[in-house]
Amino acid sequence: MNRTLPLLLIVAAACGSSEDHRAPAPAPVKAAPAPLLHATQTDLAKDLDDAAARGTWSEVKRKWQGQVLRWDVTRQRMLCRTAESCNVAAFPILRPAKHGWMPQLMFAPGQFAALETACGTREQCDVTIEGTLARFEASASMPTNLQLADVHVVTKTARR
Amino acid sequence: MKKLVPTIAGLTIAAGASITVMASSHREAPAIAEDQFVDNTDVYSFISPTNPDRLVIVADYVPLLLPQSGPNFYRFSDEARYEVHIDNDGDAKEDITYRWTFENHLKNDKTFLYNTGAVDSLDSPNLNVTQTYNLDRINENTGKKTRILSNAPVAPWNVGKRSFPNYETVALQAVKSASGVTSFAGPRDEPFFVDLHVFDLLGVGGAPTTDGVNVMSIVLEVPIADIAKGGIQPSSGDTSKSSVVGIYASALRPQIRILRRHHDEDDFGNMIQVSRLGWPLINEVIIPLGDKDKYNRSAPKDDVSNFGAYILDPEVPKLLNLVLGAGCPATPMGGRTDIVGLLSPNGTAAADLLRINITKGQTNAQSHFPNGRALADDVTDTLLTVACNNGGPIGDGVNANDKPFTTTMPYLASPASGNP
Repeated sequence: MNRTLPLLLIVAAACGSSEDHRAPAPAPVKAAPAPLLHATQTDLAKDLDDAAARGTWSEVKRKWQGQVLRWDVTRQRMLCRTAESCNVAAFPILRPAKHGWMPQLMFAPGQFAALETACGTREQCDVTIEGTLARFEASASMPTNLQLADVHVVTKTARR
Repeated sequence: MKKLVPTIAGLTIAAGASITVMASSHREAPAIAEDQFVDNTDVYSFISPTNPDRLVIVADYVPLLLPQSGPNFYRFSDEARYEVHIDNDGDAKEDITYRWTFENHLKNDKTFLYNTGAVDSLDSPNLNVTQTYNLDRINENTGKKTRILSNAPVAPWNVGKRSFPNYETVALQAVKSASGVTSFAGPRDEPFFVDLHVFDLLGVGGAPTTDGVNVMSIVLEVPIADIAKGGIQPSSGDTSKSSVVGIYASALRPQIRILRRHHDEDDFGNMIQVSRLGWPLINEVIIPLGDKDKYNRSAPKDDVSNFGAYILDPEVPKLLNLVLGAGCPATPMGGRTDIVGLLSPNGTAAADLLRINITKGQTNAQSHFPNGRALADDVTDTLLTVACNNGGPIGDGVNANDKPFTTTMPYLASPASGNP
């Protein structure tokens, strides 16, 4: 039986996952991505739809990863209870959901408290936030998953 | 119970409207529909009816099996892993995993027969095709793996009355216990009941379409202390996050499969999750078609980040209104936080996990969906009613299984016979 190919694959996989014991090379300094002219969640959703149709996932990730985004979002208290556990709706709820993702927010110091102040006792409220798209997973095989880091609350008074 | 069928006459569906199937999780996503042996169909969990200190978990796979499906009768895949995961601290991440891995055995490869004579026990020399399994418990926080059962037998297929004059006596020999854990693996009567005519433009009318078909079941009964946070069953009245456990089942396959012209296929590589299930019907009716395969590959801890918007604004009520004029109210301003609340009891992180209260004093009678899920629970009606939220019950008209469940391991009814 010819087992050459699988053996090669296994070796390749093993090599790919083996630890490199040499001292790690210094990470290259990444230039900040060029700011986007159109950087709303609707723009991102359009790019993701295009990627789903044309397979341009890498292009979309390169374009958006690391961008500083200022978005209007809806905070439901139930899904954003603490600074460590906070997801917000990127699109108005009453519009039928065309995308499942809800960005996870990692707050800058004191900013979760600012959100609490902005929203008061309301179970849900609309706020404007600004943060860096620090984690952006999007592919043909796994769900879209976003994490905004260093999040600041821009709107001090919630609109709803 | 209000049936859907009386209101469907004369109504049409708008072009492009999609209809979702209410078959818990049977063939619910495109990729898994092509890989039947690892298709996780339902998860149940309830306090043992005979010992309130023990929890029962049922994970069903391989949907809608015809009893007379010989000569290669259904089984578990020997290339896959079947797993039950338990979150015991409310963060939606598994703390304990139970893993079943199967091995095929053939006594005589010179015959096409599953059995070469009547079978009266699992040790019968006439039982030609058999499976065994190993059961491991993995502490996900420490990585410690403990072997609970080695080479435990899988119950055989119920071929027919000539092969198995007393099938259930033989099948129950596959109930095995070790280290306080009891396990069963093998075919059972499909416990999920539904009118699958729902596929035909929601044309349900109480037809018991899952009667008479079988499913491959894994049944686990464990001391509650074995799965509770810190190894201690929470006290009665405890309402902390660790007063409930969250459960989901999954199946995994090797990453690489090589098909050969002159030899059986080879499987290599890391194990990749290809199916998962906690609540019934989440991937079925909440997740849209384009994301269903992605859902099966993802983990519950990421459910809100990945799919939260679908939960806040589900498609089901709109379909019920469109097709049936069901009168489901519009999604409220803040979204369906009532559904989110059901997915996050006692302050736990919202996720597609079947959560059940494990505090002392809980009884089998209290184990009903969404606090666990009893085998007899009519989850289709419950979830349609919750989803529509019009103040009245909605259902498919099928309200019970055709066979009664039992009060002892493995709790599910004996599988339908291939030749009754």
